[in-house]
Amino acid sequence: MVARDTDAERASSVETARQQAIREEIARLRALLHEARPPHEARTPTGEVDRAASPAEWEARLATAEDLNARLRASEAFTARLLAASRDSIQVLALDGTVQWLTEAGRLDAAAIGSTWAASWPEPGDRIAAEVALAAARAGRTGRFRAPSGPREAMRWWDVVVSPIQGPDGIPERLLAVARDVTEAHRAEEQQALLMQEMAHRLKNTLALVQAVAAQTLRSAPSLESAMDAFNGRLMALSDAHDVLIRGAWAEADLAAVVEGAMAPHIDAMDGRFAAAGPRVGLGPRSVLTLSLMLHELATNAAKYGALSSPTGRVAVTWALAGEAEAMLHLRWEESGGPPVVPPRRGGFGSRLIERSLVHSFGGRVSLRFPREGAVMDLEAPLAAMQDGTA
Amino acid sequence: MTSDPDRHPQDSRQDGPDPACDAAPVVLLVEDDGLLLMEAADTLAEAGFTVLEAPHADQALKVLESRPDVEVLMTDVDMPLGSMNGFALARLVSRRWPRIPVLVVSGMGSPGPHDMPPGARFIPKPYAPSALVRTLHDTVRRAA
Repeated sequence: MVARDTDAERASSVETARQQAIREEIARLRALLHEARPPHEARTPTGEVDRAASPAEWEARLATAEDLNARLRASEAFTARLLAASRDSIQVLALDGTVQWLTEAGRLDAAAIGSTWAASWPEPGDRIAAEVALAAARAGRTGRFRAPSGPREAMRWWDVVVSPIQGPDGIPERLLAVARDVTEAHRAEEQQALLMQEMAHRLKNTLALVQAVAAQTLRSAPSLESAMDAFNGRLMALSDAHDVLIRGAWAEADLAAVVEGAMAPHIDAMDGRFAAAGPRVGLGPRSVLTLSLMLHELATNAAKYGALSSPTGRVAVTWALAGEAEAMLHLRWEESGGPPVVPPRRGGFGSRLIERSLVHSFGGRVSLRFPREGAVMDLEAPLAAMQDGTA
Repeated sequence: MTSDPDRHPQDSRQDGPDPACDAAPVVLLVEDDGLLLMEAADTLAEAGFTVLEAPHADQALKVLESRPDVEVLMTDVDMPLGSMNGFALARLVSRRWPRIPVLVVSGMGSPGPHDMPPGARFIPKPYAPSALVRTLHDTVRRAA
């Protein structure tokens, strides 16, 4: 740490008591020198008679002393600025853990001097971690822990390293505790852990849903081959619904996007024969999955037996908000222009899903009718239930 | 072919073998997802249970008040529509109807220290249907 002249100049304002003592001593010596006659006999600071020293030599020695003093001041000032520049809280502790000195960036004020450092951590577990770190440093090693401090609403997290300050004999003389503010990183880690937990939860729920779809498909399928076809179609419908949900950050999806996503696999073959219309309505993840599966079942059925099985058939999906404060969602699936309708057998996956799922999950009503002109489904559900955020 | 939301609880009574009891034990199934409920109800009905259904805790309490023959409660945890989640329902039921054993199922890891009432069982989702049936039979047998 080499001092520069500029440092020496700036340092003069923060002169320490020791520096002041040296400066005053030099001034005193200089005054003595000028008073002393004859100048051939002078005394060294230790009192011996220094017959060799001439006034010029004394001046030279004083100049050297002044220069050394300036360098010392600069060096101390630089050290002070260095410590002030650090964003870390730096504390010097006695071997017993008492605070002896600390930087201003610290989480404690000057009143902390003389206090027990380990006791300054609010959590009992962290006080133990602090004691363990102190013991490590006393033994010549490095102790490290992470702990919070401060009021709950403005809590900061610290990464704390305690290391020994060795004396000339190499034995720890005092301890150095450096605490770095890692609050941002800590919050990010907490957030990530929360996201992982949330993702694990969603994944489990999705697996449970796929399990139910698989089991229900096998229960109602006439053959393994048809079960395979139906299951793949349903899995694809769930996958498309996830795409729609991910676009809305899993919080909300636009009903129009849900309808479009569910119809996309069936739309190629029916250029201009499908129409969707309705106001903008945001739906929650649960209803997006349920509704996507329902629309998939209706579309699959229409492609096999209904309006989408003939070149002249059409499908319209329309929706509106009704009731007090537009609290009810009405959605209609209407087929027309297809072959004369023969009502499907009851109890299949599609009709059970439509009849039970929405009614059960959202407290709504569904009617699925099969007039000769084409299948019609009307559903009605409280919008609030369909907008709920979980899946 | 109209469904009516006021028709809860729905009975899906089916005859089936049951080694534990002579009659089909009555289970109240509380699950907000219609598809999961449908599958669980089918599984339990096939295993010889009489299944009552409720989509959320408030409906479940109504069923319990009107059906003294409920022998076991099986509930999901996350049920946004009701006024309480499955853990709170499980605790309430074990206080109000101590003779009814409780089984909690959920996809959200394992329960916290104070989530479950004493003696209640927990099964993580997804579960093997045979494990669910076995656990429910055990639970009913122990309570009998």
